[in-house]
Amino acid sequence: MLRFLQISNDTLFVYYLFSNLIYFGLLITAIFKNVIHRHRLASQRLELFKASPFTPPITLIVPAHNEEKSIVDSVQALLRLDYPSLEVVVVNDGSRDLTLQKLQLAYQLRTARLLYIADIATAPLRGMYRSPVEPRLLILDKEAAGCKADAINAGLNAATSPYVCVVDADSILERESLLRIMEGVFSDPSQVVAVGGIVRVLNGSSVVHGELQEVRLPKRAMEVMQVIEYLRAFLVGREAWAGFNMLPIISGAFGVFQRDLVKQIGGFRTHAVGEDLDLVVRLHRRLQETHRPYHINFIADPTCWTEVPTDLTSLARQRARWHKGLIDALWPNRDMLFRARFGRVGWAILPYMWVFEFFAPVIELVGYFTIGTAMMLGVLSRSFFLQFLLFGYAFATLISIGSVLLEEMTYRRYNRRRDVARLLIYCLFEHFPYRQLTMIWRLQGIWQYLRGDLQWREMKRVGLASSAD
Amino acid sequence: MEFVSSAIGKLGPAGLVVKAILGSLLGIFLLIGFIVLRRWYRSRYFRRRSERTFALRTQWDDIVSGKIPLRNWRLDPLDCEIVESILLDGIETATPEQLPGLLDCLRKSGLIDLRICEARMERGWKQRTALLALGRTRAAEAIPALAEALEASSPETCIAAVRGLGRTARKEAAVPILDRIVAGHFDVPEHTLKNALVNCCRDNPRVLLYYLEHSYGPVRELLARVMGELASADLGEELLVLAADPLAEVRASAARALGSTNTSYTLPALHTLTNDAEWFVRLRAVVALGHLENLGKIRILLRSLCDRNRHVRQRAAWALAQMEPHLQQILEGVVASEDEYALQTFISELERSGAIEKVVSTLEVGSDHESVQAALLEVIAAARKQVELTAQTTGAAAAHKAAVATAGAS
Repeated sequence: MLRFLQISNDTLFVYYLFSNLIYFGLLITAIFKNVIHRHRLASQRLELFKASPFTPPITLIVPAHNEEKSIVDSVQALLRLDYPSLEVVVVNDGSRDLTLQKLQLAYQLRTARLLYIADIATAPLRGMYRSPVEPRLLILDKEAAGCKADAINAGLNAATSPYVCVVDADSILERESLLRIMEGVFSDPSQVVAVGGIVRVLNGSSVVHGELQEVRLPKRAMEVMQVIEYLRAFLVGREAWAGFNMLPIISGAFGVFQRDLVKQIGGFRTHAVGEDLDLVVRLHRRLQETHRPYHINFIADPTCWTEVPTDLTSLARQRARWHKGLIDALWPNRDMLFRARFGRVGWAILPYMWVFEFFAPVIELVGYFTIGTAMMLGVLSRSFFLQFLLFGYAFATLISIGSVLLEEMTYRRYNRRRDVARLLIYCLFEHFPYRQLTMIWRLQGIWQYLRGDLQWREMKRVGLASSAD
Repeated sequence: MEFVSSAIGKLGPAGLVVKAILGSLLGIFLLIGFIVLRRWYRSRYFRRRSERTFALRTQWDDIVSGKIPLRNWRLDPLDCEIVESILLDGIETATPEQLPGLLDCLRKSGLIDLRICEARMERGWKQRTALLALGRTRAAEAIPALAEALEASSPETCIAAVRGLGRTARKEAAVPILDRIVAGHFDVPEHTLKNALVNCCRDNPRVLLYYLEHSYGPVRELLARVMGELASADLGEELLVLAADPLAEVRASAARALGSTNTSYTLPALHTLTNDAEWFVRLRAVVALGHLENLGKIRILLRSLCDRNRHVRQRAAWALAQMEPHLQQILEGVVASEDEYALQTFISELERSGAIEKVVSTLEVGSDHESVQAALLEVIAAARKQVELTAQTTGAAAAHKAAVATAGAS
């Protein structure tokens, strides 16, 4: 027993050390990448891209399920985006509220008789609508299939542009975000198959008619913790992984994909819990299998603002769902692990996702248990335990502060001194007790997945309209 | 200090952890300190810059005209940076009358020479910044330095040089880019190259003709795409040569340009291109026909309405639906073609544009040829029903496919 505890504790220390060191390495990589990207940005003029006749058209796919509160404002904001050739396909995914009626009223929709070829099977379409006042808008009305992926697939079938961008109906894109994200494609259109942009927390900021007016940090601690999490995940994690061409996920709230390639792999997997992660892993698989040189990119300046949960129940549900999505994407692709044909994806990022993402809450829980037991039995020196705990806390805090520094050095969306001071202060509290709570929610996700509970649970939303001044 | 280090040393393995804790805490304090200092420095810098910009702006006309001696601002790095930035912004929006004055100020102050020197001597970001600034000056003397940078080993520098040459918007700037493209592999994204060439050749697409003749393969396709955006009526009868080119992109560019001409050969040339083997050439020709003010196009567009490609059909329908006074005549022509797809496409386009109600009401109230009008109304009603059925069928087909897929999955 004592021997087991000793081995277990040693393993945990090594695991924890590695986990932090990897993230530290990612932070350093991300700082370099961000600095280089900032230099590049200085030489780019977005108005030239906008005026260029060679800028490829893009279709925005907006799946909407019971979005009556915000749909009109969202669509208006999307149509106002700076992009020369834009098509917006809103997919009304069997909404039971007035989503379609609100759109009908706002855009004087008329039935459109268009040829719709269902290259990817979806739930039946009930109708297609076009607007005489806004020719760039197409509305698909379909029966609900109980998953967002089905709605996106319907949008993919109807999309006419070579690139598609999937946007959540309750999210807000910054006006230049499409030009900025497509810059990632222009750099090498033959190799860049997908690009992800950054997702930031909308809570606390003021929104008028679907457009962001002023960026503010949310007032509640729980929401500020999520701001720090998002900064770390996007500015550090995704930026660095993309630098190694191993980006494992492009957020479902904002990402651009080559339409034909997504269609080739059968579109978004219906009933996937985390359809965004699942799609990117399958893209890696297909492209590695076909030996096609490719790049899945991440760019940190095109920004999408999204609402995050404001109450513990919704946050718990969201985190449990994310973890279920992780397992749901990793398990069907387990054959990619340590296989030469899948290159660095099979040897580096997928093992990392298994060990440091999927198993993390389990290992953390086991750790608390065995270390506690070892301490009680006197196997572990109390002072050493406290020292290691303090080191873990300080190192993790260092990385969180590093991501705030990255934000400060590069994009500076939070301009007020007070906001930055609050971010720094909350970095000190993120690893206790917020981290322990997320561990519990992720464990719930594992438990639900093992029980076969893949149900989508509604999240309480404030709605963009209510954020209006 | 010695006491602390000896105490940590006595801790053994735990000492390592203590060192790590201290290192992490030090890192935290350093990061926070850096953030605070950077904020303070930036706010001070921007405040000072704002003050100096205001001061320089109040004397702007005198600075440009040279009434204020150059040494008053040229030797102060911040003032110099501000003046250059204002001058470059001004050049981008200047009228032809304003441009010489602004350029003169840049030349007399030696700022162009400084940038040329930086573009040649510096490396890395400083060189790239200089290249872009040189491009923004639009000065002829900037072109040699920019062209030299095309030979750089760093792709980032090459891109900056191409962008800089593009910004000059001078036809001479296109030549070094075209020479490099035609000579062989040029590691610059196609999008950047095309944009630069479009900027440089916008007023003189003839520059491209020579290179089009002397290139082949992907390079020729790239140049053809640029020509597709620039070809204009100024090319005159050269357009007929382009319209007969073996490369489809070149023919498409000719089709596009022909839309802005109105000569005796325009309609016959476009007619030929509407029968091209490539659908996008036919599409470009149909779009060009849509812009022409010539009733002879109706006959050609009616044929394109029966094209085997749906994009061409739709575009032809769009072009025909714009010809409001002749809609009844066109409708008769569509019915006479006995092509159901063409009729459906045309009726759908009339519905989309909102012109269908006008056509129906004109036919309903009309008194001439009543039997013809009644027959046309019947055709419209039948076609609208047919279109409705098509929409339902595709919906049902999708539903069927989905059901089959679900059954297969389960």
